[in-house]
Formats: sequence, structure tokens, C-alpha cells
Amino acid sequence: MTIVQRIKEAIEVGRPKETEKLIKQALSENVKPSVMLEEAMIPAMRSAGEYYRNNDGDIPRILAAARSMRKGLDILEPYIETEGGKPLATIVLGTVKGDLHDMGKNLVAIMFRSAGFKVIDLGVDVSEKEFLKAVRKNPDVSLVCISSLLTTAMPEMRHVVKTFRESKDLAHIKIMVGGGSVDQEFADDIGADAYTETAVDAAEKAKTFFV
Amino acid sequence: MLTKRQNLLETIRGGKPDRYVNQYEAFAMIVPNPYMVNSPGPVCGQGPVKNAWGVTNIWPEGTPGSFPIHDEEHIVCKDITHWRDYVHAPRLDYSDAEWEPFIKEAEKIDRNEYFATQFIAPGIFEQCHHLQEIQNCLINFYEEPECTKELIEYLTEWELQYAEKICKYIKPDAIFHHDDWGSQTSTFISPDMFEEFIFPAYKKIYGYYKEHGVELIVHHADCYAATLVPYMIEAGVDIWQGVMTSNKIDELIAKYGGKITFMGGIDSASVDRPDWTPELVEREVRKSCTAYGTKYYIPNTTQGLGISTFPGVYEQVSEAIEKISKELFK
Repeated sequence: MTIVQRIKEAIEVGRPKETEKLIKQALSENVKPSVMLEEAMIPAMRSAGEYYRNNDGDIPRILAAARSMRKGLDILEPYIETEGGKPLATIVLGTVKGDLHDMGKNLVAIMFRSAGFKVIDLGVDVSEKEFLKAVRKNPDVSLVCISSLLTTAMPEMRHVVKTFRESKDLAHIKIMVGGGSVDQEFADDIGADAYTETAVDAAEKAKTFFV
Repeated sequence: MLTKRQNLLETIRGGKPDRYVNQYEAFAMIVPNPYMVNSPGPVCGQGPVKNAWGVTNIWPEGTPGSFPIHDEEHIVCKDITHWRDYVHAPRLDYSDAEWEPFIKEAEKIDRNEYFATQFIAPGIFEQCHHLQEIQNCLINFYEEPECTKELIEYLTEWELQYAEKICKYIKPDAIFHHDDWGSQTSTFISPDMFEEFIFPAYKKIYGYYKEHGVELIVHHADCYAATLVPYMIEAGVDIWQGVMTSNKIDELIAKYGGKITFMGGIDSASVDRPDWTPELVEREVRKSCTAYGTKYYIPNTTQGLGISTFPGVYEQVSEAIEKISKELFK
């Protein structure tokens, strides 16, 4: 088994420490970071996503795979930039004000990074002002993803989307919403551009805006 | 007319209830005791509070409940492989005199009408992630299974000591025990992992209560947990409270009715919302009662106590159940 295949397997089964070790080893053996990314890491995350979709309730494994992926990306990111690779798009992501849940949002962040997006994660309990500030501060942002698990935070999500829609300088920004309290009907009602049920689908859906 | 307690027993035994058990009406909930008094929780809209386990919780205004703060500073168990250095179970050696006022309160309950019900939260799984943060906790089930098992055993032993005190002093007829095991659409851990890690703890804890005079075990989990029902039954759960519609409750009743009763079926998110109306509430209650029938089912919002986030919702649900009950129990 080649080292690239071993990296893929380490991520798929969720072994963060082994992933780190193998990526460092591969770098020392002059394996191109883009090869590791395209032939090992992205396919591994896709397959972990598929596993999650088909095996309800095995969240520890998908989280372990996501953590492995993140560790790998942390090591590779500087190298990828020097290779001239450009992100697919830059996104701003956060759980809306009034809600402190972050597990779903973090999975979405990993899926977006795996798919080639640059992610600016604002964390949890993010106000409308903080979303706007982050987008204006980073002119390359073209997508905002807003998450909420609690139904009590839904009015705030509506408010954030409305503010974006009413800000002329932000008219080009796409908005995606997700989380346990949200469904397609609500997303349509508040004027979001897209909704997906899972983190895996979110990154796939976002790609359709940019490729 | 049956008492509330008798009516509940008829419902869960497949007998002849004369009306719906209306939400929590049959349970006289006992929340405070010497331990609870010394393990404070946050007040809605006020600041963070550290409990007896060292977990800092906050209850932001307008949200359904409290939430542990899990930034680097506040995570109690920062490394599962050294959990003994971080996790210290609170004392339970309260004197008879300290229990006395709580015993007196419990003795006031009319046990012909109500189940004197001891409220217990958080559960074993919840305590694991309150101490570690949920993502760390879930990954540790996978990456550090032995340490995770050790921590669960430690928490279980403490809960058994707590159970001993509760049975000795309060002598409850029922316990209402929280432990959320999933999100709205899936369990947090697979059934196999649940069987290996969590199930043994509940077999011991619920087994202890049953062996020491507790007639009814009510387990709260407002989530998807349909795949865990066989374990609930084997652990001794009589009523699963908080069951969400995503569990396909009609199928669960057909398969497991008689062994366990399902309490919930009215997703809090569907009615406990800022724009609720009596019409919306009645529509949702009617949908659930019609779909799930009158046996092995107790209509209730999925909230883990007889409260609602938005004022008036809980009472409106009760009103709608009473109305529909008169139509369905003729």
C-alpha cells in the first residue's frame, strides 16, 4: 500500500495521530501536497461522508475522520498555498445568536474545507452585526452559512438573512442555512439561497454556486 | 373515574384508561434534595453557574434550557486519559437532618392520585459530554474506549450511591431520568456502541431502582432513539418520554407496545415557537393523538419537564389534549 493510500485509510477510519504522522512522512518523501489532497484526503472525506449517510448514529467515527482531515489540512495548507492553489470560494460560517450548538457547524466547516473552500468560522452565538462585519472585512467572501439547532434562534436567523438582503453592498452574497431547527420550507420563507439536511450535502450544494 | 395514577397504569398496561394521560399530570415531580441544593444550576437570563461536578452552565434568555460552557478554560476533563485528575464526584454524605425537609415534602404527595417522582439529570451519557465537551466525548468513545469505560463506571457507581439515598429518604414511586442519546434524526453513538458503553450502566441504575421499590422508570430523551428501544426495555424503562415524531412512533407502538409506553409525539419545535396559536397547537395535538392511538401512548410535548419556552404553550397543549381525549375516549 502506498503512503497516499495509507493516508486515505487513516482518515476514513478516523485516526488523527496516524494521519498527521503519515502526512509528515509523505512530505519528507517529497510527495506533492496536491496529490495527497486530491488522491487521499478529499476521497477519504467523501467516503467518510457516505459512511455517515448510510450508518445512522456512528457520529464518533465521522468526527474522528473529520478531526483527522483537519489535522491533515492544518499541515498541508501552507504548502498548498505556495503551489498556487486557489480556494473554490471563501465562506463565512457561524451558529446564529441565541444558540451555542457547534457540532453540526464544525462538521460543515470540515466538509467545506475538504471540498476546497476557505472557511472563516465565526463560532457560536453570532449576531447579525458580527456576520456583516466579517463579510465586509473579507471582500473575497461570497457565501455565508448560518446554522441553528434551537427553534428559539430561528427568528434571529430570519433577521440575519433579511439584513443581508437589504444591504446593497452585500447583494452578491449567497446564503445557506442549516441545522436541526431548519427545513426547506423555512429556508425558502426567509429567502435563503439554499438549505441542505446534512453537512456532506452542504458542501456539494455550495459547489454548484461556483463551478 | 380513575385517578391520574390509575389511568396511567391502565394506559401503559394496555388496560382500560378512561382518558388520555395528559402530559405530566400523573407525576408529582420532586426536584430538590440535599445534593441538588448543593449543585446549583443557572437561572434563565442570568449568568453562568458552576455545579458540584465543576461544570459551568449558562441558560441564555429565550432558549429552552441550560447549556455547559465548553471553552478551553471551562472544560472540566481536558484529557480523558487522565480523567481521574480532573473528575471528582461530589459528596453524597448528607445527614438525616439535611434530608428531613425534603422527606416532609415528599410525604405531602397524594400517592393514590400521583406518582411521587424523583427528577434526575443529567444522565450518564450527558455527564460524559458535560465534563468533556460533546465532540471530544464522542471521539473518545472511538479513540479512547478503555478510559471512556472507566469514566462511565465511575459515574455509574456515583449514581448508584445517589439512588441508594433517594430510595432510602424519598421513597419515590417513579423516577424521571434524563439522558439524551441523539439528535433529531440519529443517535449520537451507534446501537452497538450504546450496548457496549451505556447500556450496562442503565441496567445497573434502573435495576437498582426497580429492586428498591420504584414502580415506574421514565426515561427522558427528546431525540431520535428508535434503534435503542430494545435496550430501554431490557434496562427496565417503562415510559420513554420525549419521543420525537422522527422515531415513527406508530411503528414503535405496534412493535413494542405492552413492553414500553411512548410519551411525547408532539415535537416541541412544532408548537413551542414564537408564532404559536391555539389552532396550531390543536392541529398538532390532534395529528399525534389520531396517529398514535390510546394505548401505550401519552400525548406530550417533547420538553423534559412540564414547561414551555414560550408562555402558555404547555397549558394550551394540555387543553387541546383534554378536548381531543373527550372525542377519542367515548
